[in-house]
Amino acid sequence: MKELPKEALDLDQKIINFIRKGVDQQDPEGFNRLALEVFDLQFKLIPLYRRYCEKRRIEPEKISSWEAIPALPTDVFKVMELSMFPSQTVRTFMTSGTTKPEERGKVGYDEGGLRLMDATIQEAASSFLFPDGMKTKILIIAPSPEMAPQMIMAYGMNRLKDYFGLPQSRFLVGREGFEVETLLKELRSSEEEDIPVTLCGGSFGFVNFFDTCREKGVKFKLPPGSRTLDAGGFKGRSREVKREEFIKECGEILGIQKKYSVNLLGMTEISSQFYDNTLRNLHKDLHLSGAKINPPWTKTLVVDPEILKPLPVGETGLLRHFDLANRGHILAIQTDDLGRMTGEGFEVFGRSKEGEARGCSLTIDEMTHIEKGK
Amino acid sequence: MMENFELEAYHVPPELRDQVKISRTMVYEDESTRILLKIPSIDRTLIQSLPHHLKKKRSYLAHLPIEKIVHVLDEASRRWLDKNYPLRRLALKTIPLITGFSPEVVEASVDVEMESSLREDMWRALSLEIGNPLYLDDFQYSPQLGGYSRAFGPELIVSIFSENIPALPHLLFMRSALVKSACLGKAARGEPTFAPLYLKTIEEIDPGMAECMAVLYWQGGEEEIEASLFEQSDAVVLFGGVETCRSLMEKIPRRIKTLVHGHRLGFGVIGRQKMNRKGLERLAEAVALDCSMFDQQACLAPHVYYLEEGGEVSPKEFCQVVAMAMETLNQRMPRGRISPNEASAIHQLRAAYEFRELNGEDVLALASSPKTDWTVVYEKDPGIFSPSPLNRFIRIFGVEDIFQVPPALKPIGPFLQNAAVAIGDEREREFIRILGELGVARITSPGKMSVPSMMWHHDGISPLASLLRWCDVEKKDEF
Repeated sequence: MKELPKEALDLDQKIINFIRKGVDQQDPEGFNRLALEVFDLQFKLIPLYRRYCEKRRIEPEKISSWEAIPALPTDVFKVMELSMFPSQTVRTFMTSGTTKPEERGKVGYDEGGLRLMDATIQEAASSFLFPDGMKTKILIIAPSPEMAPQMIMAYGMNRLKDYFGLPQSRFLVGREGFEVETLLKELRSSEEEDIPVTLCGGSFGFVNFFDTCREKGVKFKLPPGSRTLDAGGFKGRSREVKREEFIKECGEILGIQKKYSVNLLGMTEISSQFYDNTLRNLHKDLHLSGAKINPPWTKTLVVDPEILKPLPVGETGLLRHFDLANRGHILAIQTDDLGRMTGEGFEVFGRSKEGEARGCSLTIDEMTHIEKGK
Repeated sequence: MMENFELEAYHVPPELRDQVKISRTMVYEDESTRILLKIPSIDRTLIQSLPHHLKKKRSYLAHLPIEKIVHVLDEASRRWLDKNYPLRRLALKTIPLITGFSPEVVEASVDVEMESSLREDMWRALSLEIGNPLYLDDFQYSPQLGGYSRAFGPELIVSIFSENIPALPHLLFMRSALVKSACLGKAARGEPTFAPLYLKTIEEIDPGMAECMAVLYWQGGEEEIEASLFEQSDAVVLFGGVETCRSLMEKIPRRIKTLVHGHRLGFGVIGRQKMNRKGLERLAEAVALDCSMFDQQACLAPHVYYLEEGGEVSPKEFCQVVAMAMETLNQRMPRGRISPNEASAIHQLRAAYEFRELNGEDVLALASSPKTDWTVVYEKDPGIFSPSPLNRFIRIFGVEDIFQVPPALKPIGPFLQNAAVAIGDEREREFIRILGELGVARITSPGKMSVPSMMWHHDGISPLASLLRWCDVEKKDEF
């Protein structure tokens, strides 16, 4: 495979340098400059995206602010390959939620794109998940990247394990599914040997594990410093659990201290991750309200769902993310998540139920259930 | 000046009104209107006393001649069709704010529903389903039997309305009255106001009849209320989604007759003979109307229109004309307010089509801008039926031959309901036969999808006859 073109490599280096300055840097102009450079390159090298922008009369020369960069709706990844260097793709990640391959979003990463993602994982986790610099045994309720090469969460958690985990760290979803007995043993031995644990995985995986623990009457008192990292929502794969209840379960069943349960918003279409500030606030003794935080190499806007124009802080709308680490595909991503900006960062409500099935026509969601044979 | 309205999300017979406590008041507000909607709190006493009362008072209805019942219901429909009728005016002022439908859509749906609920419609429906409507009044000689027959409706029908198509819940009260049953309905979450207003109309015309009718509202999934009402009913009629109906069915004792109207899918098919310049605009307007009526929320609405290639006008050209008609219609009868998720789904799907078009695929994406009012997308038939995100979003699939369509519909047969068909040549009959076998319950012409007659076998069943129990007298002497 040939090297990426120099202009991409140079830009990647500038972005990496920016990311490496960490989450405390204050350099909005730096972000703006780099975002416009990324847009310029994507406009030049991704013909379909260029046409999309041109239809909206937006060109790199005409804009001076990142907010004006046209955002790509996530569903487009279901029908179109939109990488800057498709022939140089080394890794393709796919969205979950449906079994039909033609309805899953696909995002291709080149070598440079993976390096950018790696840098974001390392910088963000060191500030938001391990602000204390503690090494823990990382136990992951997810398949390993070898087993699930297309799952971006498996990739990211593997990186966490490599960067921050003790040698005994491991994945706990194997060919036979979730290895619950192994996890119970691992947690018991950590408890006995006084080794702090970071338990991470999909939110629904936690809930199913909590249910199992309750059935078996099992509880743990994990060593101080143990923490949880859960990502994503429940998507019908476990019962729905409110955040407060989730944190309570982490305390009651695992013995995790309050504020040591961190939630993460990650998306296949976005290279960076958005963490809760709970643990970081605790460690740095910051008295800030809870929110998902934009690391400085990302920005988020909330837009009006009807006309897709930005809304003022505090109003609920659709989240639109801008991520410098998305150099390899599209910087600006329009999601279908509802949320709102707060003083500190943003809140995400997921997909609200309001308005579903207002009439008596069968909905797309119902069709999906029927097709799954439910 | 702010206009204030107070409405109740329930209606019970006068004697029981003291028993209904208000649990909360919902407030709906815009620049000129404020609505206070009173939500009842439903306690155990009411759940026992209301069905008991309705059943007791049903003896009035049971002895009322069918001719008189039809007269009362006909009068109710006529009052609702009168533009100056105070309750109609109240509904048109308040339902748009509560549901998000535009006033024009609400008005159109009241008219459509009431125009098909007149005297002749009821007589026809009764004759079609029961033969001789007088079987409902007394034993009548049945020439087929060679004896005497009489039909009895259930004492009490409990119905869960789940859809919020304005003006639709009256249908269940009409059907119940026609089979001389008392009826207790649960209003829909999104539109709990029309049914109580309709019962007020019945009360104005015939208070005795209104004594056997009630509508309540509670949060769906209230196990105790639902189980208790089903237990006291003699028949249940459910409207709702697949999951809702399934979970409700589990609570209904097996001995109780149950009719289920689950969520359904509609579609349209136009053959090449009809794809002509002449009449093009009229046909496109008809398609646009099918997709716009009730903002595509009804189970009657099409998700997909299949257009056959090889006619004078290509499917893609046809889409352009449909798009114009959608825009015109949106000016005359604007699309209502939709939720953020619904708007998002429309933007996302539009973008997917737009990119395929930019990529040079044989795809067309036409849409209102910048809002999500209407969308027309075209592609070659992908061979699988894809539902629309609704709210005036029509998928148009081009097919080489109309007979390619049925195989794609086969997997969703049990959910098919309404189809508009315009083939215009000798294949039409054969095509309709195949649709019937697949599970389609109603076939009509483009433009008529949202206006079924009252005689229609709703979801493929006989809505009146299915509720009846028969008694036959097979003896010739001494009767």
